[in-house]
Amino acid sequence: MPINANFSRRSALKLGAGAAAASFLGFNAFGDVISDAKIIPSTEMTKGVAKSGKLRIGFSNGFSGNGWRTMNLRAMQIEAAANAAKYELITVDGQGDIAKQVNDIEDLIAQNVDALLIIANSSSAVVPAVRKAVKAGVMTVPFNLPVDGEEWHAFIGTDPVKKGGTTGKYLNDALGGKGKIVALGGLPGNSYTAGCWKGAKENFGPGIEVLAFKDASWEEDKAKVVMADLIAAYPQIDGIWADGGQDAVGGLKALVAAGRPLVPCVGDDYNGLLKMYDEDKDKNPQFKFGAVSEPSWEGIVALRTAHKLLSGESAPKRQIIQPIVIDGSNYQKFIKRNLPDGVFVDTTLSDDELKKLFS
Amino acid sequence: MLGERLVALLRRSPAWVAVALLYALAVIVTPAMAKPAQILNVLQVTAFLGLVATGQTIALLTGGIDLSVAGVVTMTNIVATGVMMGENARIAPAVLICLGLGAVVGAFNGALIAILRVAPIIATLAMNSILFGAALVYTGGAPRGSAAPSFDVIGQGSVVGLPASALCWLVVAVVVAYAMRRTTYGRWLYAVGANERAAYLMGVPTRAVLVVAYMLSATLAVMGGLLVTAYIGNPSLGIGNQFLLTSVVAVVVGGTALTGGVGSVVGTIAGALFVTELNSFTNIAQVSTGAQFVIQGVLIALSVIAYRMIGTRAGAR
Repeated sequence: MPINANFSRRSALKLGAGAAAASFLGFNAFGDVISDAKIIPSTEMTKGVAKSGKLRIGFSNGFSGNGWRTMNLRAMQIEAAANAAKYELITVDGQGDIAKQVNDIEDLIAQNVDALLIIANSSSAVVPAVRKAVKAGVMTVPFNLPVDGEEWHAFIGTDPVKKGGTTGKYLNDALGGKGKIVALGGLPGNSYTAGCWKGAKENFGPGIEVLAFKDASWEEDKAKVVMADLIAAYPQIDGIWADGGQDAVGGLKALVAAGRPLVPCVGDDYNGLLKMYDEDKDKNPQFKFGAVSEPSWEGIVALRTAHKLLSGESAPKRQIIQPIVIDGSNYQKFIKRNLPDGVFVDTTLSDDELKKLFS
Repeated sequence: MLGERLVALLRRSPAWVAVALLYALAVIVTPAMAKPAQILNVLQVTAFLGLVATGQTIALLTGGIDLSVAGVVTMTNIVATGVMMGENARIAPAVLICLGLGAVVGAFNGALIAILRVAPIIATLAMNSILFGAALVYTGGAPRGSAAPSFDVIGQGSVVGLPASALCWLVVAVVVAYAMRRTTYGRWLYAVGANERAAYLMGVPTRAVLVVAYMLSATLAVMGGLLVTAYIGNPSLGIGNQFLLTSVVAVVVGGTALTGGVGSVVGTIAGALFVTELNSFTNIAQVSTGAQFVIQGVLIALSVIAYRMIGTRAGAR
C-alpha cells in the first residue's frame, strides 16, 4: 500500500534540503516530498548495500540544454553540495547522443562509482550498459525517463498516461464534457507524448470531438504555425490539449493573432502559460488552464534514493510522482512574474537561484 | 496554342507553375486554404523561410551550401531576446548586434571556404555546431529575455492588410534578386559558381566574391531569425533547426542548381512559398509529421529530376 507524505514546498525550503531529508527519512517508505506533488512508492523494495567512506555518485545526463534539464541539474548540484561530506556527484553529458551515453555509463563504471543515476536518451539502448553497472555492484537509479526491463535498482518519475489522464479530464470538465478540441504534442514519435495522449483520450467524454492531433515539438513557434493552420481549417475550436506548456502557449498566441477569444487549454508547469493566463484571463472569460508538472526536483529524490541504498537501507523499486493540477485556483502560488517564460515553476530553486540560472 | 503556351510557361518558371498547381490541389482538397485569412497566414509564415532561403540561394549559386543557417537563426533568436529584454529602447542595439554577429559568422565561413579551401558543406556544418554550442554556453541551457512589443510588429503586425513579415521578405528578396542580376557583384557570383577557375582567369576576385556571398547568406539568415523572433516573442534553443533542411529544399524547388551558377532568387521566392504552402496544406489535411518529412525528402529528389527533364532551369541564362 502506498504511503504518502504531503509536505508543502515552503516548509521543505524552510527546513533546508538536508534537514528535510533527515526529518522524515526512516518514518515513511521514502515518502520524501518537496512540492505539493505526492510520491507513490511501490510496495516492491530494493535492498541496499552499505558502503563506507566518502561515496561517489555518477550521473549520466542524456543531454543538457533545455530549461528543465538545466533546473534539474542545478537542484542536484545544490543537494550534492549540502551533502559534500557524504558523497561526491560526477556528472557526464550525453549530448543527446544514444551511443555517447552508453560510453559515458561505461566510463562511470570504470571510474568505480558507487551509484549511477541516469536520464536515458533511449529506454532500450542503455539496457546493456545499465546491466553491466548492476553486475559491477553499482546502485542504478534511472529517473525522469524509464529504462526498459527490471535490471536496475530504483526508478523515480511520473507516469505519462496518468498525467495525460489528469489533463484530459481537466479539459473535458472545463468544457462541460462537450466541445471541439485540437491536440498539440511534442517531438514526432516520442513515447512521452504518446503516453499522455493515450491517457487524455481515455478521459474525454463522448461529447468531445478531436479535430486534429499535430506534433509541435514543444516549441512555441512551431505550435503557433500549426495552430494558425488549424484555425483556418476549423471555424470552431473550443479547447486545446497539449502535453507541454510551450505548445499550449504557441496555440494560444495563434488564437490571439487570429482575433479569436482564448479557450480552455491544458499543458505543464511552463511559467509562460501561467503568465499568459494571469495577463489574459480578464479579457477572455472562457479562458481556463490546467497544468500538470514534471517536477524539476526529481534529481534530488534520485540522489537521496541512491544515498539511502548505499547506506544499506531499502528503497522502493518505483517512486511515481502523482500529477497535481495547477489551475486558476492555485496558480498564484506558483507563478513567477519576474522570471522568464521558460522557467518550470514546480521547483525547489529559489527565485534568486533561478535568476542566476536564467541569465 | 494553349498547350504550347503552357509548355513555354513551364519551361520559363516551373516553380511558379508548381506553386499554382499545389495551391489548386490544396483548395480542392481543403477549401479552408482558399480563405483570405489563410492566404495571409501562409504569406506571414513563409517570410521566415523566405529570407533564410534567399541567403541559401546565394550560397548555392557559388556552388557551395550554407548549413550554418540553422545555428545563425538560433543565435539571432537568443541574442535578440537576451539583449532586448522586452524593452523597446533596446531594439536598435539588439538588431545591430545580431547583424554584426551574422556578418562575422559569414566572414568566417567565407574565409574557411575561399582561403583555407575547406569544403563548404564541412565548413558551414562545423560553424552550425559551433553556433549551437555557443548558444548553449551563453544561455547555460536556460535562455532568458523576450522580444520588445514594438519589435513584435514586424513578425505579427500588418501593413495595409498585408502581413508585415511578408512585406519585409519580399522587399529584401526583390532587392537581392535585382543585385544578383544587375550589379557587377551579381555577375561575378554567377561566374564563380559556374566555373571558379575561369572566373579567376577573367580577373574576377573570386575569393572576395565567395567571402561576401557567405556574409550575405548569414546576414539574410539573421533577418529571417529576427522575423521569427518577432513572430513568437520568446527565446528557444531549438528554433533554428527547422531551417537547415527546408532552406535547401526551397532553393532547389525554386530551380537553383546544387552545382552552382544556375538559378535565381526569384525562383526561391516560389520555392519558399511552395514549401510553406505544402506544410500548411498537409497540416490542415491531417497528414502525419512522418509523412510530411517523407514528402519533403521526395520533393528534393523530384525537383532535381524534373528540372533536368524540362531541360532548363528557372532563370537560367
